[in-house]
Amino acid sequence: MNAQDIAPDAPKPDVRSGRMRLLLSTYALSIIFVLLMLAFCLFVPHFATWANFANVLQRNSIIGIVACGMLLMIVTGGFDLSVGAVGAMSSVVAAALIVQISIPVAIVAALLLGVFVGLVNGFFIAKIGINAFVTTLATQVLVTGFLFVCTSAQPVYGVPESFTVLGLGRIGPIPIPTIIFALVALATWALLRFTTLGHYIYIVGGNKTAARLAGINVDRVIMATYAIGGLSAAVAGVVLLGQTNIGQPASAGDWPLTAIAAVVVGGVPLSGGVGQVWSAVLGTLLLGIIANALNLIGVSPFWQPAVTGAVILVAVGLDSYQRKQRETR
Amino acid sequence: MLLEMRDIRKSFSGNLVLRGIDFGLQRGQIHALVGHNGAGKSTLMKTLSGNYADYQGQILIDGVECRLETPREALKRGIAIIYQDFSLVPDLSVADNIGLGREPKGATSWFLAHAELRARSAREAAALGIDLPMDEPVRRLGVAGQQLTEIVRACSQSVRILVMDEPTARLAPAEREHLFVTMRKMADNQGVGIVYISHFLEEVRQVADCVTILRDGRVVETGPSSRYRVDDLARLLVGSTDIATIGAARPATAVGAEVLALEGLSVAGRPGVDLTIAAGEIVGIAGLVGSGRTRLARAIIGDVPSRGVVRVDGRPLARRDPERVAKAGVVMVPEDRKISGLALSSSVEANVVASALGRLLSSFGFIRPGSRGKLASDMIRRFDIRPPDRTMTAGELSGGNAQKVLLARAVAARPKVMILDQPTAGVDVGAKAELHRQIERSADEGAGVLLISDDLDELLGLCSRIMIISAGKVKSVLPSAELTRAQLLSAIS
Repeated sequence: MNAQDIAPDAPKPDVRSGRMRLLLSTYALSIIFVLLMLAFCLFVPHFATWANFANVLQRNSIIGIVACGMLLMIVTGGFDLSVGAVGAMSSVVAAALIVQISIPVAIVAALLLGVFVGLVNGFFIAKIGINAFVTTLATQVLVTGFLFVCTSAQPVYGVPESFTVLGLGRIGPIPIPTIIFALVALATWALLRFTTLGHYIYIVGGNKTAARLAGINVDRVIMATYAIGGLSAAVAGVVLLGQTNIGQPASAGDWPLTAIAAVVVGGVPLSGGVGQVWSAVLGTLLLGIIANALNLIGVSPFWQPAVTGAVILVAVGLDSYQRKQRETR
Repeated sequence: MLLEMRDIRKSFSGNLVLRGIDFGLQRGQIHALVGHNGAGKSTLMKTLSGNYADYQGQILIDGVECRLETPREALKRGIAIIYQDFSLVPDLSVADNIGLGREPKGATSWFLAHAELRARSAREAAALGIDLPMDEPVRRLGVAGQQLTEIVRACSQSVRILVMDEPTARLAPAEREHLFVTMRKMADNQGVGIVYISHFLEEVRQVADCVTILRDGRVVETGPSSRYRVDDLARLLVGSTDIATIGAARPATAVGAEVLALEGLSVAGRPGVDLTIAAGEIVGIAGLVGSGRTRLARAIIGDVPSRGVVRVDGRPLARRDPERVAKAGVVMVPEDRKISGLALSSSVEANVVASALGRLLSSFGFIRPGSRGKLASDMIRRFDIRPPDRTMTAGELSGGNAQKVLLARAVAARPKVMILDQPTAGVDVGAKAELHRQIERSADEGAGVLLISDDLDELLGLCSRIMIISAGKVKSVLPSAELTRAQLLSAIS
């Protein structure tokens, strides 16, 4: 018995063009990215300089780190609106503890707090059954509220100048935040590629019932995923502190939607079950270079959100429309 | 005795589905479980595989009692099940799906041995003589390929009891034969006990050692399959359930002009269907699950793409989509009232008037005052919906009353043609009789009705003609007066 023989409704000649189309739609984003890069290099003054690239990388690394965690949650069929609040919390807590205790303790505490909020998210989503939108919206507001109370909404100063290495420093020509971003992306890739948890994330996102019936502990997978999402947001928060040197409770408000946008522009559907790290990385960089190019051309920064919005609609629209066509065929 | 189930009872929201079932399975035995839809076969097997924590009764494995409350516990005891509705992960590869939930671990349990997983899955498929593209996502495999993936998965767990819920419904004859050989080998060589659920009675006689017949949540008979002929089984299956409200078949004379005509209507490359229905006529469609009945109905209203012509009142519908077709006067009552039928959190009133609202009750987009409540009250009275409270939410209704609301919604739109997909599935006898009366009344009022049903008595009692569908092809359209229950049953299987 052979599955190809069994599917008589799929005509043979279609297979090749189907493959071709699949290939195109898989690499569509990469192709767009390369073409845009070429166009910008040729036509945008000062774009094709290392200084500018380093600048783009430095500015977008933080969102990239958040996007890696967001990707995991999106693959399980959810997302996290609390990453901004967690990032702000992590940078404030780190700032306070650096001033009072020491840098290593501060970093570890900030990261653990991120994991904790992630676990809380996962608990309410998996065990209690509140949907991801409501759960993470609530924790986002909750964490922000706590932060304002504890700091009286005042920034936390006094972090030593040397800490800015983490946010502004470079190793050779490469910004340190970018190195951290690369490490986070690599870790996320390895998680999805090599670990049991990564495999289960795809299964849970693809078909929760099947996962449960196959004896997979779905709740644990979801909780672990949100914990990792919280961790990545906390890492981003520490890097943010390295850039500003001030623990600012009102910062990072735009992280959740920007990170979701990056992942989605990268071609990952919110319905879950599919998605690769390079999508999140490429999505982040795509939004980054577009903003940068607009900047260099001299377009008013007020236009940038509008352009980002249009990019999301076009990129995701093309993808979804293709999917819809394929399904109704 | 490998497995013994004693006095198993299970109810869903107060509705007793299993009414004390005893079931036994020996090592190396293939034991068929037959019964109509709703007889409790699937529920019994889902209980065995740990889907319900709240069943009553005893389950003994090798004579030792155990409670099976999660799929994990059932798997641990070597109980594997192939579900009727696929439990595959569409975007994962065949190899990944075969190994689902028992992935080989690498250096530590944190890591996954991908290469080993793939190799093992390929080996397991080969051991069963099944050839599958291991790296392809199952989404792109086609139904039979997906079914085979499920079979390999279930067979390759260290399985002692294997449950197959209609595994052959979507397989071609050659594939079926192959599957039977595989089943026999597993039973004889490895001593696996196999529970085999099927609608195909001929197959049951061919492959099973022993057969248990279920009806209405009870065991009717158990015995060696060689003891029964196909029509014995058919008779036991149907029983003597009386539907007293249905008399003889409706006379085909009391019909008017043609309201619906299908000309070469073809879905997914299958042969075209020709059929005409006159005003006041009820035409039945008989066929097994997966035979393409529902797809045909959905094709008529334009919900799935199809080729061919659909005429309503003699006029062909140029472009078919559900909205246009509804405007032309064709309404459909879908099969699953919970999923595609009712807006469960809306009121009975909102549900009943939904199809009539746009065309009958409003002017320039505004609902005429009072008309909506009046229509809802009329329909509640006409259909005897209980409790007669139009503000109640549809989700709180019992199955029979929910089904009445669904039919009332269709009738309220004053359709020319009604397409009813299993309108009485899973409802009690009283509600069923009421639904039958209402279907006949709609026909008397001039609607043409296309009735899809698993209930052969219902088809024979209500319809003037019955179209028999098998594997997407129309076998014949016969006047129901010329058919007996047993003939119909053997025609569809």
